[in-house]
Amino acid sequence: MKVLLPEILEMLWEVWEQNPGAEVYTGGTDLLVKLREGVTWPPALICLERINALRQIWEEEDTVVIGAGTPHTALIRHPLIQVEFPVLVEALKVLGSPPIRNMGTLGGNIATASPAGDSLPALYVLNAEIVLTDAKGSRTLPIHEFITGPGQTGLGPREIITGIRLKKTAPYTVSRYEKVGKRKAMAIAVASLATCLRLSPDGRIESARLAWGSAGPAIVTSPEIETAMSGQPLTPELLRGLIPAVEREVSPIDDIRATAVYRRKVAANLFLRLSGISEGGASA
Amino acid sequence: MKRDALPNQPRPLQIGEPIPRADAPAKVAGREHYAVDYYAEDMLWAGVKRADIPHAVFRGINSEEAEKVPGVLAILTAKDIKGSNRQGVARKDQPVLVDDRIRHRGDGVALVIAETREALREAIGKITVEAEPLPGVFDMEEALKEDAPWIHEDHPGSNILLKGHITKGDGATAFETCTHVVKATFELPYQEHAYLETEAGWAITEEDETVSITVSTQTPFRDKMEVAGALGLPMDKVRIIAPYCGGAFGGKDGITVQSLLALAALRFSGRPIKMWWEREESFIASAKRHQARCRYRLGADATGRFIALEAEILYDTGAYDHLGGAVMALGLEHAGGPYRIPHTDLKAWAVYTNNPVGGAFRAFGVAQATAAMEQMVDRIAEKVGRSPLEIRRLNAVRRGDTTPIGVTLTTSTGIGRCLEIAERHPFWRKRESWKAKAGPFRKRGVGVAAVMHGMGYGPVIPDTANAKIELTSEGSFRVACGVVDMGQGNAHTFLQMAGDILSQDLSRLELVLPDTAWTLPSGSASASRTTYTYGNALIDAANLLKERILKRCADLWMVTDPKELALVPGRVRHLPSGRETTLAEVAAFMDETERTTVAHYRAPQSPQLPDLEPNLRLHGIPHVVFSYGVHIAGIEVDLLTGAVTVEHYLAVNDCGNILNPQLFEQQVQGGIAQGLGYALMEEIPVTEGEMKTVNFSTYLLPTFLDVPDMEVIDAGGNEPTGPYGLKGIGEIPTSGPLPAVANALFDACGIRLERFPMTPERVLSALEGNRP
Amino acid sequence: MKISFTLNGKPVSCDLPSNRRVVDVLREDLGLMGTKEACGTGECGACTILVDGIPRLSCLMLAAQLEGRDVTTIEGLSKSGETLHPIQQAFVEAGAVQCGFCTPGMVLATTHLLSENPRPTREEIREALSGNICRCTGYQKIVDAVELAAEKLTEKGETA
Repeated sequence: MKVLLPEILEMLWEVWEQNPGAEVYTGGTDLLVKLREGVTWPPALICLERINALRQIWEEEDTVVIGAGTPHTALIRHPLIQVEFPVLVEALKVLGSPPIRNMGTLGGNIATASPAGDSLPALYVLNAEIVLTDAKGSRTLPIHEFITGPGQTGLGPREIITGIRLKKTAPYTVSRYEKVGKRKAMAIAVASLATCLRLSPDGRIESARLAWGSAGPAIVTSPEIETAMSGQPLTPELLRGLIPAVEREVSPIDDIRATAVYRRKVAANLFLRLSGISEGGASA
Repeated sequence: MKRDALPNQPRPLQIGEPIPRADAPAKVAGREHYAVDYYAEDMLWAGVKRADIPHAVFRGINSEEAEKVPGVLAILTAKDIKGSNRQGVARKDQPVLVDDRIRHRGDGVALVIAETREALREAIGKITVEAEPLPGVFDMEEALKEDAPWIHEDHPGSNILLKGHITKGDGATAFETCTHVVKATFELPYQEHAYLETEAGWAITEEDETVSITVSTQTPFRDKMEVAGALGLPMDKVRIIAPYCGGAFGGKDGITVQSLLALAALRFSGRPIKMWWEREESFIASAKRHQARCRYRLGADATGRFIALEAEILYDTGAYDHLGGAVMALGLEHAGGPYRIPHTDLKAWAVYTNNPVGGAFRAFGVAQATAAMEQMVDRIAEKVGRSPLEIRRLNAVRRGDTTPIGVTLTTSTGIGRCLEIAERHPFWRKRESWKAKAGPFRKRGVGVAAVMHGMGYGPVIPDTANAKIELTSEGSFRVACGVVDMGQGNAHTFLQMAGDILSQDLSRLELVLPDTAWTLPSGSASASRTTYTYGNALIDAANLLKERILKRCADLWMVTDPKELALVPGRVRHLPSGRETTLAEVAAFMDETERTTVAHYRAPQSPQLPDLEPNLRLHGIPHVVFSYGVHIAGIEVDLLTGAVTVEHYLAVNDCGNILNPQLFEQQVQGGIAQGLGYALMEEIPVTEGEMKTVNFSTYLLPTFLDVPDMEVIDAGGNEPTGPYGLKGIGEIPTSGPLPAVANALFDACGIRLERFPMTPERVLSALEGNRP
Repeated sequence: MKISFTLNGKPVSCDLPSNRRVVDVLREDLGLMGTKEACGTGECGACTILVDGIPRLSCLMLAAQLEGRDVTTIEGLSKSGETLHPIQQAFVEAGAVQCGFCTPGMVLATTHLLSENPRPTREEIREALSGNICRCTGYQKIVDAVELAAEKLTEKGETA
């Protein structure tokens, strides 16, 4: 199995053409584990880490475009990302471990499409658009259309994720990501919730964006709950009243890490925790 | 031993000082060679095909495809083994390679030898197993049933490897007189040792037909006997070399790769052969802390004084004995903790199943018993309405009392003092105000556990060590250490002892790590006995050598009384005149044999309980010397997720006199961290004998963020039989965290679990009122 | 394939299968056994190396990725062969080493932490090293060691 390191996209298409069964990777934090497990054994690997174009972050009018090969650590430290998308920073800070964050990339976390992928709930609340490119050109899909199931995406043959487009919005009052794992570092999410809330000065919710991880085959969002919150004061009563809706919206599974019953309960409880926000710790 | 300069240590080593470890510089520089770090030009790789069937009659393997893999040199099976093909410490029931019956999924069925690791992996993947499946036994209660399939047909009567029943006073009938009686069951999980260095070694058959095996082991001398027996080799043709282990914790107390490596080396004489289990294989094939089921009943009078205890402990020893019988026996001996209980009825079983092998693991059966007993004590305290420390102080053993199995305590017994220190500690006194500060959706609680742990092998197996120390011709001292340092630091402590006696600094002391060709048999690095037993032998050997050097020097200088002479770093000094000579010069006047002294030490063994069933005595009951401790955990529970955070941890310890405070703290802190893993996250779900967690992604170990800063307090004990008053500290800290955290969980939220560890899911479920 | 990179300050050029794991390259091909492997799946940090100064897991990196990189392993940390780097010295003095198998990875992760944050809090130390598992120490003395190392380096006016 040879490993190829194209340095520009044009080279990538060329080497891929020459090595049709090759798999691509960037950080290797998922693919190399799969190789070890024997889950996959392609004839060649193409590593994208040398393609500089995939590691850029730039602005296009009201949109920030993140190169898919940007490592998580770089994003966590990027001033523009910190200012514009704190919910993403919160999520990436608890993804894997420091060395995993040095190696793993945002594009990789999306392509893996695990319901437990920590970046995903944040990207859902930010309405991320995924830029997909192949030799012929690029197309853009909203993230919820791109990810179709656990490990399932709309990635075409010999197509890669090249960028993630995030629209800048008026700042949210609250941007947080809470993950429940079985330990306090290097944990895989048993349940998680990304939240962005815009509150009026009198404490009413002007807009709410919520996305649950590890709560179904894909990230769970709920226009119904978001609409129901809109215009309401952020109180424990409001949240309690919506818990049946949360429990309805999520469809978690049993696995080695937790049961569906627990995931459902915690998905609801993480939502309930938002009531603590009104008593300070706004962006906690 | 290679050493780097420690500029701050020119002075002679002294007992009691927190001297940094002599093994640390090479380790921190990446220069220490562990068993896994040997590579050679013409080295071969050996690996094992595992059965992956829990119970079956073994018919053979099909290796046709595997043999075709380029680079594969040989595929060996049990037929290639000339000896007994059986290994084990008490019962020799475990084959090197399966010959008749597969008893668990991790059983090895074939040994592959290949030129490269890649070829090895590929070939192993291509071997298939031919076997007739048998009904499996996966639950201990099922295994005990009369009609259960027998796992060892040669083991008389049943799947009970060993059982023990000890009564004291009126036994269970005394419950009639109790005012308060509490009853509970505890299900305790497997725990993986998870030493970072997985099982590894290399071997070579030398020209004189000696098989030399360099291996990560706790038991070099026992390994030698086991390999020789299993493979039918003369004892003098097996040599075991034991470098520092990259962790062991009991998991390398017994054979792992040794016989397999020797088998491969015999086939390819003259070529070095390496074996290194991958993490997944380590999970599948290694022994674990026994999963256990404990049924307890504890009765007390109206004031909380314990009257009666009934305990039944089932240990799942899996497919093989390993050290399961001894684990069970130690658990049985400690079933009632450090308390005066006049009437007891204690039963324990080590049960064969087709599950993974249960074996030695730091705290050796006591962790399970303590987990149960300490939660029972807490229940009584709650019933009586006394504080957890008060109830323990009321019942704690003193010297002269009898333990729950009826053994009179004749050595230092510091549990009372530990409890007093804990009770005076500010964290304990101010716990209510700390608890009141929990944030929204959170509750805090403080829990206590008292711990006790016996040292050594018990009354029958000789618990001995043989120390050897040499004055080299260069005038330095070489300590030949026959007992392994698996990371706990005993090797350094030995140098500190020798340095103190001989007044030498570290630059004049060398250590020879265990090698059955050069060092002397000193037993296993286990049972909290390593420093105690070898240390006592070393003190004698060092004193003997010192006396010999001074006498020889007195002769040379025509000094009548050797007492006028003293050892100083690198020299001998005549105290009245100040005249000096170097040790190298003294060495030159001594014959090689004179420059070496050896001493033998045998640890005290109990004459008590002479009527105890002989097999239980053989398996280690009762002990003479015990260490004690009190643990206090302060936890915060997230009521929305069930997650438990350990915020505070305090451990007060009676382990006799402390020879090196830094090493003492290392042992206690490390033991607590393993205990917290056992309490909160470590478990191996097993279905039909198949482990569901075989890597570090699903089997979770505590990280930097899961273990708090801990306060480790020395209660200031002294054990006259110990070297410089020391008692063992290696194992005892591991037993405390689970019950301390469980009791804190009750204190915080009023819930008690039956199944452990206390995962967020179990805690949340209990908070919702579900059966724990 | 021919791969050229800088290893512990010296240029290295070797012919390697491009898909060989870096941990195997270092240990087996180049004889640098200070880099340890304990899980093979990126969950323990024992195989941590610095690649262009950044901690990476050498079990999740393939030989081809080394091309042109500047790699530091534990063997290359101290400047002269025999003296320990102040961080290594701090690990020794603080009692942060027991079995020692996690230590090289811990030391390298610390090197990077202190190069970015010369006086970290205990919480920051715990967070920065949270990808490294130690089964022996309970971590406390490693945190102590990093604090001590920070002091040593600040006194010397050095950075890691």
